[in-house]
Amino acid sequence: MLRKRKEKEMTSKKNKTNEIANEKKIAITVKDLHIAYKGLQKISIRAHLLKLKPIKKDVFEAVRGVSFEIEEGKILGIIGRNGSGKSTMLRAIAGIFSADKGTINLHHNTVSLLSIGVGFNKKLTGYENIYLSGMLLGFSEEEIKNKEKEIIEFADIGDFIYKPVKMYSSGMYSKLAFAITAILETDIMLIDEVLSVGDTQFKKKSYDKMRELISDDKRTVIIVSHSTPTLLELCDEVLWLDSGKVKMQGDPKTVLETYEKEMNG
Amino acid sequence: MKLFFSNIKKYYRYAIRSAKAELKSEISESYLNWLWWIIEPLSFMLIYTFVFTVVFHSSETYFSIFVFIGLTCWEFFNRMITGSVRLIANNRDLVTKVYIPKYILLLSKSFTYLFKMFISFALAILLMVLYQVPFSPTMFYFFLIVPVLYVVSFGFGLILMHFGVFIDDLKNLTNIGLRLVFYLSGVFYNIGDRLKGTLKYVLLRGNPIAFVMSEMRKVMLYATQPSFEGLIVWFVIGILLCVIGIHIIHKNENSYAKVI
Repeated sequence: MLRKRKEKEMTSKKNKTNEIANEKKIAITVKDLHIAYKGLQKISIRAHLLKLKPIKKDVFEAVRGVSFEIEEGKILGIIGRNGSGKSTMLRAIAGIFSADKGTINLHHNTVSLLSIGVGFNKKLTGYENIYLSGMLLGFSEEEIKNKEKEIIEFADIGDFIYKPVKMYSSGMYSKLAFAITAILETDIMLIDEVLSVGDTQFKKKSYDKMRELISDDKRTVIIVSHSTPTLLELCDEVLWLDSGKVKMQGDPKTVLETYEKEMNG
Repeated sequence: MKLFFSNIKKYYRYAIRSAKAELKSEISESYLNWLWWIIEPLSFMLIYTFVFTVVFHSSETYFSIFVFIGLTCWEFFNRMITGSVRLIANNRDLVTKVYIPKYILLLSKSFTYLFKMFISFALAILLMVLYQVPFSPTMFYFFLIVPVLYVVSFGFGLILMHFGVFIDDLKNLTNIGLRLVFYLSGVFYNIGDRLKGTLKYVLLRGNPIAFVMSEMRKVMLYATQPSFEGLIVWFVIGILLCVIGIHIIHKNENSYAKVI
């Protein structure tokens, strides 16, 4: 772990010098990405025995041939209808799904997916979950210990932090999840519709924190959202996905305007 | 295989931490908390001892401890198998949100089961003192037998964990299978005495749990040497199962999130 960190520091130093040399550094490269849900449904043995014919394979391609690149420090917004493959693609970038075709290159950056819950074990306390989630994001116990106070403070859920997560309200759950990913900073943050988390006060706090995180010019961010105002305000670039394909990509204003027009028209 | 070891190195702290947290959460909500780890195996032992000495007139020497050792080995295997079948689905929240090598989940679970098994064995030794079973140096072969049990259970667990993701009814099947193995393993009878001929040979040699159980009793209760070749054979089979399981999981683990 330690060695890895060191290596990372070394590469980031190297990157800095590189940056001066060519000003641009790519953080994520996605090439011709295809992701399909096929033949992977659960099998019931009874159904298998009763119908001796092979199980019909439903192939559903959620992402079909998406390619894009993001420079380090940029914020990419992804917009599109429900079921257009946005979340699937985010998960693939986070390494949870495997791509059926095509490649995703993260250029050795650490990545975290922030989508209402980092993956909590509901039986355990919020406190334990901070550590477990943090460790899964690639941090060591010491690093988390150093940030523990900050996370608890930011989550602002009082004594509930020492209670099992299953007792949390959905608001508290998201607050803690947001706090963990926001304070334990990874190089790439993938955000799936979380800007509307918690009560008004927390919403404002998380929005401010988001802006702070995003404004860090080393951090690359991908935001999936249905809210055009948010994307318009935060993003450097917007990608419009439509049934698994890139429909439009470019400057937020132009893309979002066309998107709005088509949605309403 | 190299990937496996680097993953273990990277995630073993996580596995330990999560196992500890799980044990803690298990007891934090009950009145008798950690006492259950002792009460549970002891009560099972008492039930079986009652049924088989009073009702069936069994006459093994040190019958309670005989049952207890068998039960302890059995419980570990049983927990590993039942635990692994639904493991991925039970960790849905985790699996769909963050990448984790899936065998780390099983590893972490196995730590909690190991912990319970060691408590059980500590109790067994306590019982041996109570019943004045003579201690012998062969007891140290315990440390040879446990790894065999672990590797075999882990191997089966890995493979079942993979198929458990796709096959919903696997849970029911393994329950039936486990019940069969339970009665064929000689938890409360001595296969060596009760059965004869090929059946005895097949059951003792072909069933890893029966084998481990009888070896464990040999070294703990009867001060005899274990069958080394048997241990080696099962250890190798266990390692092979693990290698196959790890291979399958590496190949498929990123598809799990799509199914559950």
